[in-house]
Amino acid sequence: MTARLTIDGLIRRFGGVVATDNVSMDFAPGSLSAIIGPNGAGKTTFFNLITGKLKPDAGTIKLDGVDIGGRPEADIVRMGIGRAFQVASIFPRFTVEESLTAAVLSHRRQTGSMFQRFPLPAATARAKEIMDLAGLSHAAATPSRFLSHGDQKLLDIALALALEPKVLLLDEPTAGMGPDERWKMIERVQLLWRQVGMTLVFIEHDMDIVFKIAQSIRVLRYGSVLAEGTAEEIRTNQAVIDAYLGTSLEEALA
Amino acid sequence: MNFDALIDCFSASACVVTQISSGLIIGMLIFMVASGVTLIFGVLGVVNFAHGALYMLGAYFALTAYWVTDSFTVAVLAGAIGTGLFGVVFERLFISRVYGADVLSQLLVCYAFVLILDDAVKAIWGGDFLSMGMPEAFALPPLMIAGGFVPPFYAFLTAFAVASAIALAALLGLTRFGKIVRAAAVNRQMVGVLGINTSLVYALIFGLGAALAGAAGALAAPVRSATPGMGFDILIESFIVTVIGGMGSIAGAFVGAILIGMIRAFGTVGFPLATEGVTFAMMAVVLLVKPAGLFGKAGR
Amino acid sequence: MTARLELILGAVFAAVLIAIGLSLGDKAVIDVLMRLSIFSLLALSLNILVGYTGLVSFGHAMFFGFGAYVFGLLMQTNAISIPAAAAVTLLATCVWGAVSGALCIRLTEIYFSFLTLAFQMLLYSVIAGWVSLTGGDQGLMGGIPRPPFLGIDLAQPRQLFVLTVIVSVLSALAIRQIVQSPFGYALRMIRDNAERARFLGVPVQRYKLQAFVLSGIFGSLAGILMSLYVSGAYPNFAFWTLSGDAIIMIVLGGITVFLGPVLGAVLFQFLNDYINRITEHHGMVMGVVLLVIVLGLRKGVLDVLDEWRQSRKPRPEAAP
Repeated sequence: MTARLTIDGLIRRFGGVVATDNVSMDFAPGSLSAIIGPNGAGKTTFFNLITGKLKPDAGTIKLDGVDIGGRPEADIVRMGIGRAFQVASIFPRFTVEESLTAAVLSHRRQTGSMFQRFPLPAATARAKEIMDLAGLSHAAATPSRFLSHGDQKLLDIALALALEPKVLLLDEPTAGMGPDERWKMIERVQLLWRQVGMTLVFIEHDMDIVFKIAQSIRVLRYGSVLAEGTAEEIRTNQAVIDAYLGTSLEEALA
Repeated sequence: MNFDALIDCFSASACVVTQISSGLIIGMLIFMVASGVTLIFGVLGVVNFAHGALYMLGAYFALTAYWVTDSFTVAVLAGAIGTGLFGVVFERLFISRVYGADVLSQLLVCYAFVLILDDAVKAIWGGDFLSMGMPEAFALPPLMIAGGFVPPFYAFLTAFAVASAIALAALLGLTRFGKIVRAAAVNRQMVGVLGINTSLVYALIFGLGAALAGAAGALAAPVRSATPGMGFDILIESFIVTVIGGMGSIAGAFVGAILIGMIRAFGTVGFPLATEGVTFAMMAVVLLVKPAGLFGKAGR
Repeated sequence: MTARLELILGAVFAAVLIAIGLSLGDKAVIDVLMRLSIFSLLALSLNILVGYTGLVSFGHAMFFGFGAYVFGLLMQTNAISIPAAAAVTLLATCVWGAVSGALCIRLTEIYFSFLTLAFQMLLYSVIAGWVSLTGGDQGLMGGIPRPPFLGIDLAQPRQLFVLTVIVSVLSALAIRQIVQSPFGYALRMIRDNAERARFLGVPVQRYKLQAFVLSGIFGSLAGILMSLYVSGAYPNFAFWTLSGDAIIMIVLGGITVFLGPVLGAVLFQFLNDYINRITEHHGMVMGVVLLVIVLGLRKGVLDVLDEWRQSRKPRPEAAP
């Protein structure tokens, strides 16, 4: 099986610090993968490189075999890599329905039109589908800035979905949520992934969530890949145990 | 357009010296205003649209002090300190309310003060052109440099501006206050957590920027006439200078200001109608080639 | 509101204005209505940038002055009809708007504001300095000829009044169409969150430039109407205080509601006249009014109403 997204030898430096250090990994079509690692491991930088927000110093990023490394953000989005942000990035004064309709219009390259009226019915219909999918229909007419924290994050994801991405990158979808809300959110994400059938990659700190739902897990540390594999493989990986538990375990045994 | 005159001027050292000296005082006055704009922006993140009005205030404070005391030293002190104090009050009462607010609010608060100050100056000092005349201390025969005449006051003004540039650089680069200021520019909250009164730092920086503009106004009084609204042109010029030099960079403001001063001075000889155009063309080139400015950090 | 309904309302509004002006027949009334039409158009055109795109232009009078001078100079050649001169002027505005805009939109937030202001002052200094062409401080000399065309004689004040109202209302309808189109919503996306818009594939820079040029075209049209009205063009058409006035107008009326700028232009005119009547300290009073609006209300009249309306929209409980 050929990979959907292939990253090879990716390097990015900030001054003297190597934030992404020779990272290589691939993501199979339709897979659900998690990226974990301690703070400062370079997880968000990794996403910024894939989405074109940062330019790589070296290495290639291929989507279905086409190199996208270093292209402008807008191009990469159009080619099929969507993204939701760690802090929900939405349009505060748009209602949920307006936001999604506008996103759909953008996906269909219809935002340049000055002679039609917003919203175009076809786009609204699609926006409603996405709202259903994301579980936001109850808030259709609510201005986004009045949404609950969780719904704002869902809307952010729904905006990315409007572009029908082949690959969706979620940066900590459960950040800032209470335990109950977290599980609701992650169930919703899992549902979306199943229904849409896209390749989903998410950064997450909650290990319960990661080990429960991810098909494969990549561990980043100091900007490079420490380990990758299934939940079971990661659980028993000596390097990971050392990295995460290392000192404290030795201390406990001492 | 008269390029022959320009070529003639360049072939005569007297003319070059005269134009350079007048270019220098134009540039130095712009620098003193621009350095305040760029300092306030660098630390507070606000572009003070009312900075030209502070320059005007400095000129009028200086005029009054000069008429009362007959001392130019007192006049400059009055311009700098009076405007600086005004700046501190202005920052505490008004500017501090729009930190982090949208651009429109920041702009409008400053604009309101441009209207108020221009009008207040008119009410207090009248709407006519006022002139200080050359203070007695500088009523000396001009200096002869390479065949060109340079009025002593020009030399003084240039020296004063260079000295304040050095003092400013030293203050920010070498002192504890400078360290705090630079840290606050990066992360205000962190500096606040460390137990430093950042509100005070902000007020002082604004006051310092205002004092620089006030001093510039005072220094301009002997060579230019004062009038309500006199601050506007220099505001635009100092903005252009900060764009060319890089927002937040004092060194950039210095280089940019000298550049503009020279264009203005030699422009009056060779292309009097096109000096503004050349200035803008220069800004346009900088924006296209190096959007952050000559000395600016990329990423802005 | 549908486009058809807007068209009807616009037509009714124009008809009412014209009827009032012509039936009262008072020159002063006609003058006031013409000024209000022209400044409403100026404010509406500015709000394409400020209210819908989130770009605070402080140099909008540049287009007003540009339109007035280019049109006036063309008419003074006596070689061109009024509609043709207007068309050429708007075309020239497009070019100037694209060139200056391409530079201005490279900067964001307040730098954008200053750069627009600087460009306006460049135009002003050209107008004030190029005396042989523009007449300098005295304005375009000798007035602007207004030869009849298609049976319309704009030298007749009443005909000029009717035309001014019709052009202003049609322009307002056009601006309304633009801001309610998919393009208009793309501008709102840029205003609300340019970064997110970019990640949704919106060509942010290109749209900003288009908005800049469009805003300029309608501002220039207001300038053309003004030059016809006063039969001349003066440097203060391109002076920064007029840009400031335009900003005050839209802030007074409100930037989030389409007709806010129109209400603002009307309020501003009356406020201006009132202040001039009660005091000679115009700047101080206007400055204080501005401070009260910005620091006190924090929004314009219609913004307040809109905020109240939005806050009444349903807010859901937590997701089921």
